[in-house]
Amino acid sequence: MTLTAAREAETDAHYKAPDVAGYADVSYEVKLRLFDQVKGDMRFGDYLYGCYECGICVAACPSAKFYDFSPRRIAQAAAREDVDLFYQQMQEDIWECSQCFSCLRCPRGNNPGGIITIMREVAVRNGLASAREALVGYSRIIYKIMSTGTQVSPDMLRPDAFPDWGPETGDVADNLDLWRRALPPETMHTTSSGWSVADRTLVELYVIWLETGALDMIAEVDRGLHSILQELMEERLEEEGIEL
Amino acid sequence: MSSETIVVIGGGPGGLRAAQGIAEIGRRAVLIEQREFLGGTPVAENYSGLTPRGEPAQPQIRQMIEQVTGDPLIEVRLGTELVGVSGEPGAFTLRLRGAQTLGAPAAGGQEAEAPAAGDNQTVECGAIIIATGFGHFDPGRSTQMYGYYEFPDVITQPDLEAMLSEHRVLRPSNGQPPERICFVQCVGSRDRQIGNEYCSKVCCGVASKEAIELRELLPDSKVLIFYIDMRMYGYWENEIYWPAQEQHHVQYVKGLITEVLPKGDRLLVRGEDTTMGRPMEVLMDLVVLSVGMEPSPGTRELARLLGVKQNKYGFIEAAGAPLDPVSTDREGIFACGSALGPADLEDTVSSAAGAAMRAVGYLRSRAVAAVN
Amino acid sequence: MTTPIGAPVTLRRAKAAQEPVADRRSLEDPRAELLELERQGELIVQKIDREAVTVSTKYGREKRIQKAHLWHHKSCGQCGHIPGYSTSIFWVMRKLGYDYHDPHDQTSCTAWNYYASATSNSAAQAAVAVRNFAAAYESGYFPLIHCGTSYGHYKEVREELIRHPELRAQVRGIMAKLGKPLVLPEEIVHYSEWFHALRDEIAAKQVRDVSKIVVTVHPACHYYKIVSGDAIYDPDIYGGQRTAVVTGLAEALGAEVRNYSTWFDCCGFGFRHILVQRDFTRSFATLRKIEVMKEEANPDVVLTHDTGCVTTLDKSQFAARAHGRNVGLAVLSEAQFAALAMGAHPFRVCQLHWHSADYRPLLEKMGIDWEQAWAEFQSDLRRLESGEKRYLDWDDADGTQDKGAPRVSPAGHEHGN
Repeated sequence: MTLTAAREAETDAHYKAPDVAGYADVSYEVKLRLFDQVKGDMRFGDYLYGCYECGICVAACPSAKFYDFSPRRIAQAAAREDVDLFYQQMQEDIWECSQCFSCLRCPRGNNPGGIITIMREVAVRNGLASAREALVGYSRIIYKIMSTGTQVSPDMLRPDAFPDWGPETGDVADNLDLWRRALPPETMHTTSSGWSVADRTLVELYVIWLETGALDMIAEVDRGLHSILQELMEERLEEEGIEL
Repeated sequence: MSSETIVVIGGGPGGLRAAQGIAEIGRRAVLIEQREFLGGTPVAENYSGLTPRGEPAQPQIRQMIEQVTGDPLIEVRLGTELVGVSGEPGAFTLRLRGAQTLGAPAAGGQEAEAPAAGDNQTVECGAIIIATGFGHFDPGRSTQMYGYYEFPDVITQPDLEAMLSEHRVLRPSNGQPPERICFVQCVGSRDRQIGNEYCSKVCCGVASKEAIELRELLPDSKVLIFYIDMRMYGYWENEIYWPAQEQHHVQYVKGLITEVLPKGDRLLVRGEDTTMGRPMEVLMDLVVLSVGMEPSPGTRELARLLGVKQNKYGFIEAAGAPLDPVSTDREGIFACGSALGPADLEDTVSSAAGAAMRAVGYLRSRAVAAVN
Repeated sequence: MTTPIGAPVTLRRAKAAQEPVADRRSLEDPRAELLELERQGELIVQKIDREAVTVSTKYGREKRIQKAHLWHHKSCGQCGHIPGYSTSIFWVMRKLGYDYHDPHDQTSCTAWNYYASATSNSAAQAAVAVRNFAAAYESGYFPLIHCGTSYGHYKEVREELIRHPELRAQVRGIMAKLGKPLVLPEEIVHYSEWFHALRDEIAAKQVRDVSKIVVTVHPACHYYKIVSGDAIYDPDIYGGQRTAVVTGLAEALGAEVRNYSTWFDCCGFGFRHILVQRDFTRSFATLRKIEVMKEEANPDVVLTHDTGCVTTLDKSQFAARAHGRNVGLAVLSEAQFAALAMGAHPFRVCQLHWHSADYRPLLEKMGIDWEQAWAEFQSDLRRLESGEKRYLDWDDADGTQDKGAPRVSPAGHEHGN
């Protein structure tokens, strides 16, 4: 830690020293900008009213039982517009949320899980280090969706990917093709996708992700994946004769 | 033809005080009550001790009733309800359906004809006071999961009052005295999802009073109150809150319960202990839900029949609030007590006396105007 | 009011004694909002146009569940990892004689990705939903949602589309590029609601006795906690205090449903956690659900109605057992349980070999000879390996060659009968 930083850390106890937290401390302006992006989301007004600190959301929250995580503190930081605390939460806390929406029991009508969803989107869009870190190992799902139109496929059930799920995972992997052909539903004789998706349908999904900027968000998480997907999608769109 | 009689609809503490107030000023009142007895909710729901000091409720209410039934200027009609109104302010004609008449002869000193039960009766009056009060929130409608209709040991404050007035508090599930009891505040109040956004005002005081009574009745019990805020206005702070904590060792935990589920033969309640900043699960023998106040069916019906404006919660709207808390939006019709919104007994008797004065004043001003 | 000594005071208890009060929530009616938007020309509402069962939701709004001619909006996790779940849904529907469409032109709802990674946004999510609904609308079959998260997410999307005209405009524009209308169904229906609505018809076709089977029910968070008014509640089930689906069906089949003290708890799926922070998922599932159920209710099977919940509860037990935890409960969807009760083959239909937690004691208790059944399935596999057949079909699933039953070809048109 430099002398200057040490002095700054001494003078204001609210600020963590830049290299202690594990992520960059940024200027107030940057934090405010991030907060305003969350506040400016179309859904924010539906998700945050006031908070009278009853703790019902925390009582219902599964993540609060296992992590130092509190949907109440999320709602409070947002309601108080405490930009520093909000930034800290965006870096440290938001990925603990289980997105179960048990917190919708809030008597004020708040949706802390929903506020977190918006915070995550803003974190991803701005390429926050914590977002990238939280999503390490996740890119394969995004690739699966974009290449097959389904999020989960039978060929993902590999013992090296799920060693803790038991030996049946190995049985599936060993018999994958045979066991998939032994399924009565006609659309499910697939191994690399959940069910058989029409080519045209996949292309429609591409159009949606391109038009809504979802594809751009992936660039912030995994640049390599983004290039692959972009190429893949542009080819397919051309084949189907769709102009954007 | 204008009338000098004032009709008070509702025979609870508000209606009783209003009728008494009218008589005190020397005017005639007709008190209409749909139940077969007077006293309203405190009697119907077996109130045990009054808040804050815990003095027995029933003798006090009985005293109020006797003052009314013994007054020659007040005519009481039990088992009677309003079915229609016509006429105009100063000269209303009310159509009633009902049974008995107690007390005063009819206007003009003539003998009253006892109306046959069930017949439509009419009453002429110059002004009306609505005193039809409130009903308790049905806990089955709560946003949280309290299981009132599933688990016998989950009860409401009125259920507990009934037990306290018998001086015997037992677990409904097994008839044993409870060792661990908790109150859950704000049930049905302060909730945007339900739409009852208001605070029901009395439940914090009542819960604390009941907690004190429980600690006295069951000295080995542990009593907790789970709350969002402790609403202890004025003298309630020193008369209830401090003694509850200091003398009776009632535990106050800031964090509202969201779930009640059975575990073994007890109930597991879940909340956050916000002071300590962590989720909390504790076992209880008895869970008391502090249910809020809503407009009674009578209040809703009366608003409809009389064409009086209600606020968004269905209570009668106090059109001139805050400095005129008893006028409705209809001339000659006043309201008092919890028909207007959450109110404790002090509020109720205050507004009832105020409504009585206003109603009489209204008739006098009309009489003066008529002469001029 | 005096009470005999020792008897507990009788308290006012009957819900019927309470006057029904309309509160804000009972005035919320997403269906009415959609129809109003349709009147304004903002979108198209796909109507329920055939026989439907009426069910009651939490605040008294009535919801209609169309019985036949349904578009199966499939679940990635079910089709990918628990194929017996999807298969059982189709199988039960076929057994009751209701026609359906199993589409190729369906994408994932992408909600698992959204809740896990947030590499998406509300416009993309809404457009994906509407694209699927448009595909259903164009086919004339009414959508039925298989996954609890798809269902909850689509309810959320519906609310956003109702509230935000700018979102509608954006989605309408994207749909125009795809040559599709902005359309939503009059009701968003989860398959477990269909199973609940038809539980008496299902019970009427029951051939296996489950009266000795003890069940614990795990309700899916996304089914009843998102847009909580739009979920089935029934005054005869839990006194109307908890959602009725799954429990209603289990009781109609005659199983014994037992309570446990973490009923409202999430399973711990976490969306993200199950992939990249799985210590949380399996700890939560074990400590908060499986162990509690075992200790307090000791069930033969845990029934649930969502993909993530089946996955979490089924797959978390292996590692937990290695740590000496009190686990070992069969986990099934209520669709698979209903299918078994109706005589379905445990492997050809329920595909239980894809499950992790041991289901054999449950099958034995139900009087099913699983060894024999496994041998039958093995001989099916031999037929596939030998090239005699390319795929198993619905006739194979029942071990019959009955050509009279209604069949639906992959193209989605109904044959026969």
